[in-house]
Amino acid sequence: MTQVTMIVNGDSRTASVPPETTLLMLLREHFNLTGAKLGCDVGDCGACTVIVDGKPVNACLMLAVQAEGRSVLTIEGLATQNELHPIQKAFEDQASLQCGFCGPGVILSAKALLDNIPDPSKQEIRDALSGNLCRCTGYTKMIEAIQESARVLRGGSADQAV
Amino acid sequence: MRAFEYVVARDSAQAMALLAEHGSSVKILAGGTDLLVELKSASHGPQVIVDISRAEDMKKISLTGEGLSIGALATHSEIMDSQLIRDMFPALVDAAHTIGAVQTRNLGTLGGNLVTCVPSMDSGPTLIALEALVTIAGAEGRRQMPLTDFFVGPRKTILKPTELLVDIIIPKKNLGKPVHFLKSGLRKGQALALVNVAASLWVDKNTFLEPRIALGAVAPVVMRATQAEAYLAGRAVTPEAMMEAGRIAAGEARPITDFRASAEYRRDLIAVLTKRALENAVLLAQAKLKGVKK
Repeated sequence: MTQVTMIVNGDSRTASVPPETTLLMLLREHFNLTGAKLGCDVGDCGACTVIVDGKPVNACLMLAVQAEGRSVLTIEGLATQNELHPIQKAFEDQASLQCGFCGPGVILSAKALLDNIPDPSKQEIRDALSGNLCRCTGYTKMIEAIQESARVLRGGSADQAV
Repeated sequence: MRAFEYVVARDSAQAMALLAEHGSSVKILAGGTDLLVELKSASHGPQVIVDISRAEDMKKISLTGEGLSIGALATHSEIMDSQLIRDMFPALVDAAHTIGAVQTRNLGTLGGNLVTCVPSMDSGPTLIALEALVTIAGAEGRRQMPLTDFFVGPRKTILKPTELLVDIIIPKKNLGKPVHFLKSGLRKGQALALVNVAASLWVDKNTFLEPRIALGAVAPVVMRATQAEAYLAGRAVTPEAMMEAGRIAAGEARPITDFRASAEYRRDLIAVLTKRALENAVLLAQAKLKGVKK
């Protein structure tokens, strides 16, 4: 067993896990943060996407021990008790998800994009989502929601949209 | 995943010591995008994993006396974000951009892409077209060789179990050499190349000087199209010459038919992509010449 300590959604968390535990399994099984999903488990589908030190990564392709000392953001860290994050709000408003399995990963990919590029082009959004597979709704409404939340996050009014 | 012992190497020297200590029971973990997939499906795995992903001395991207040095642990994202590389070799940025998707580019490393050595690797052709060298650290010290000699076969490099790929060097003589990379896959994201091509060249008095063409996914390892290069060298820069070079390159490649594409289709792609990569490299070269004249 190896002891790992990291910041998860702003709080310091410690666990003792076998070295072969992935970051995804640590989050889901040990920290009970089940927002990040186990999809393909080989880094293709993006359902396990979390943000580590500001960068979106596949949690299924990282060992838990590799996150030692790092800062991890999962979907559970976005909303507050009272309010959804603007990206989550836009996804809800625009009905951008159907089954929702890909949602946490998609929204975190969008968060990482908007943190770096506040006003992304459609192509930049598509590129940012190329590692997140959605097999039901499609991407059109996701892209619209990301454009909408980008406007809100830049301080524009949501009503000007559409 | 099967159980293993996990150790962290803080720098390349420590990694070398751990490799010497544990010998062939070791696997090196860099970006993990290939290794973890392999470990999850393997019936028997390594006893020890040496995690080099925090070895800072193997991440640097810098100009040295030898040329442009890219640490083996530079991630594809770091290559895309490097101002030095963006200014000097946008083709390396383009190539990195076609690998996997954002998440895997944030984890995966250049060295890992080369060491895994799949024939369709996207980082290979541009580096080969720029005659890149690799530095390998071993028990007897360091040695350098052309990247073309590093590749031995599909998923096989010249590395011994106790050796480490340290950095990749684009030699000084090729700094600023016009180069262009193109890839054709079935989709833009998360797709292996059907064919990828890089072409580098200088243009001197409207003739091709030192043309280099590298092809990926169409032979057991990334290959140079030496017959097409020989055809172009010293020849006048014309659309016909570039089209003929594409045809020659398609002839000397050894593509296979698989579920992604037929060998015939891949040959057609090689001809077209080689021509286009040459045309784009020529445009870069001509722009450079104009810049000098001003």
